[in-house]
Amino acid sequence: MLGQQIMSGLATGSLYALTAVAVVVVFRNTRTINLAQGDFSMMGAFIAIILLKTYGLNYYATIVLCVLAIMALGVLTERLVMRPIADSDWLTLFTATLGVYYILHGVAGWIWGRDTKAFPVTFDPTPVHIFGTVVSHGHLINMGWAAAIGVVLYVFFKYTKQGIAMRAVTDDPETAKLMGIPVRFIVTLTWAMAGFLAAFIGILIAPIIYVAPEMMDEVLIKGYVAAVFGGLYSIPGAIIGALMIGVAENLAGGYLGSHYKTATAFAMIVVLLTFRPQGLFGIQKRREI
Amino acid sequence: MVAAARTSAPIANRQAVAALKARFAQQNWIFAGVLFALLALVPLLPVVEGWMATQAALVIIYILAAQGVSVLTGHTGLVTVGHGGFLAIGAYTSALMSHYLGADLLSGMICGGLMAALIGCLLGLIFLRLAGAFMAIGTLGFAFFIGTIVNNVPIFNGRTGFSLPPNNLFGVIDIGDFGFYYVCLVTLALMTLFMYSLVRSGVGRAFKALRDAEKAAQSSGVNRLFYRTLAFTISAFITGVAGALNGHIVSFVSAEVYADIWYSVDILVAAIVGGSAMLFGPFIGGVFIVMVPFFFEELADFSFILKGIVLIGVLMLAPAGVADVAARPFRAMRQRALAQAGGATAREHGRTGGSPGGAE
Repeated sequence: MLGQQIMSGLATGSLYALTAVAVVVVFRNTRTINLAQGDFSMMGAFIAIILLKTYGLNYYATIVLCVLAIMALGVLTERLVMRPIADSDWLTLFTATLGVYYILHGVAGWIWGRDTKAFPVTFDPTPVHIFGTVVSHGHLINMGWAAAIGVVLYVFFKYTKQGIAMRAVTDDPETAKLMGIPVRFIVTLTWAMAGFLAAFIGILIAPIIYVAPEMMDEVLIKGYVAAVFGGLYSIPGAIIGALMIGVAENLAGGYLGSHYKTATAFAMIVVLLTFRPQGLFGIQKRREI
Repeated sequence: MVAAARTSAPIANRQAVAALKARFAQQNWIFAGVLFALLALVPLLPVVEGWMATQAALVIIYILAAQGVSVLTGHTGLVTVGHGGFLAIGAYTSALMSHYLGADLLSGMICGGLMAALIGCLLGLIFLRLAGAFMAIGTLGFAFFIGTIVNNVPIFNGRTGFSLPPNNLFGVIDIGDFGFYYVCLVTLALMTLFMYSLVRSGVGRAFKALRDAEKAAQSSGVNRLFYRTLAFTISAFITGVAGALNGHIVSFVSAEVYADIWYSVDILVAAIVGGSAMLFGPFIGGVFIVMVPFFFEELADFSFILKGIVLIGVLMLAPAGVADVAARPFRAMRQRALAQAGGATAREHGRTGGSPGGAE
């Protein structure tokens, strides 16, 4: 039972992890807490429904198109909304993403309506035995996707020129600029990456929950909490935080009752921020916000 | 500043400056007085119907809630995305009292405010070490937490909610739409007066000092723990009172609306669009956030889009809020007048000129 709970906790946690990574990547390169991150995913899920149902596309082609569309949405957000106010204080940046949040909610509600929809690809609950525990096939697939994306990100940040430039901008935007790194392009790339992650999250999570304009609100807050675990700065910290939240809320749901699930994330953030306000893996420097 | 004025300015100048400032303060009072007198008199016109009074009352509720946010976000520099939580606390406290005990509107408002203040005080202590973006995330988590509670703890009746008896006050069984409007208006007048004195008091200056230069404020003897917690408490109280009214305006509370993130977001946007560091800001923000959906009644989704676009536009053109832009010409005029009256010393005093409605 315990192992079971932990396994499915890790499965949910791996989706929170993708959200948290997106939050961290955007925050550390642009000082922006992106409240629209969840809505990127929501748009992705809706677009996936259209591609699958109306155009009858195959699952993988849908994923590719969806990822491209949401990356474009991320870039568009950066160009139209964030770039003109890029030099403002973080509150203005944050509130601007709130504006994007409103707009995307409105657009989704306008086009697709407010009622919840089922995702055409159903969640596969077939039990699979692994490490002495039982985990459903769908969860296992999601974990696989999350791990694969994690590897892609790792390779990107470690070995590609753009990834290294992105880390340089994180560490010191001024010096990076002086060294000839095109900081503006890197910022655009950051938002594209937020879109990339968001599209995957949307498609992977849609079969588990449902598709509606406000589908991502709860996932997003858990992504934030996980990001705080890494001090809003460390990607490994955010991933570990996300997995911890996934496991903790599953345990709370299993042993205390399912309505304690959401409250768990808040309890964790309170405990964390009371004892280590800079996050579990946070770095004390760069706390100018 | 006072010492500098004493040594460098002739006494006549100082008196002229003081007289001018007194006149500006008087102008602020007259502006506020005329505004509230109009708000009080307009419903007496025969063309005004009950639903209009209710709509106006809703605007006032949002103004109050945004005033609560502005205490924290504007005046103390602590961004809160969780005031929907305090709104819910106020609404449920008052609703439970009137549903089970038959309590009247006034005691519901007071208890709703106090309950929110109590929880706000606790939250302030919990989040004592947070700043900036971490505070925003923490308060957002708080709003979700409250949402979970009202959705799942049996006494709150979840999404079914419960309805309230007609609003009774001072022995009147049903004060009606207009009575409710006047209750809101009086509350708003009192809260605005309170905000006006708060901003000008030592407490308000301590808030502002913590916002502008926390370390410097602390080293000059501003007790950070005390004033931060106080800001949270006051802010929660004001929003809690607004929440109590918000429950009574439709005589119904349920987790359907209070478990959502929308109240938190809307209140924050109202404060920021209007100008969260200005006394008049929440007025503009409240009208904006309530009236946009009202005009697009059938097209709710379009009102979301419009809200988003306006919000982004305001951030690009007037990051300090609409009230700040509106007050600019008045402020410049007053500064010029002060400069003329006070000579060199006026430059230092110019910033206290203020604006219509007693903004900052």
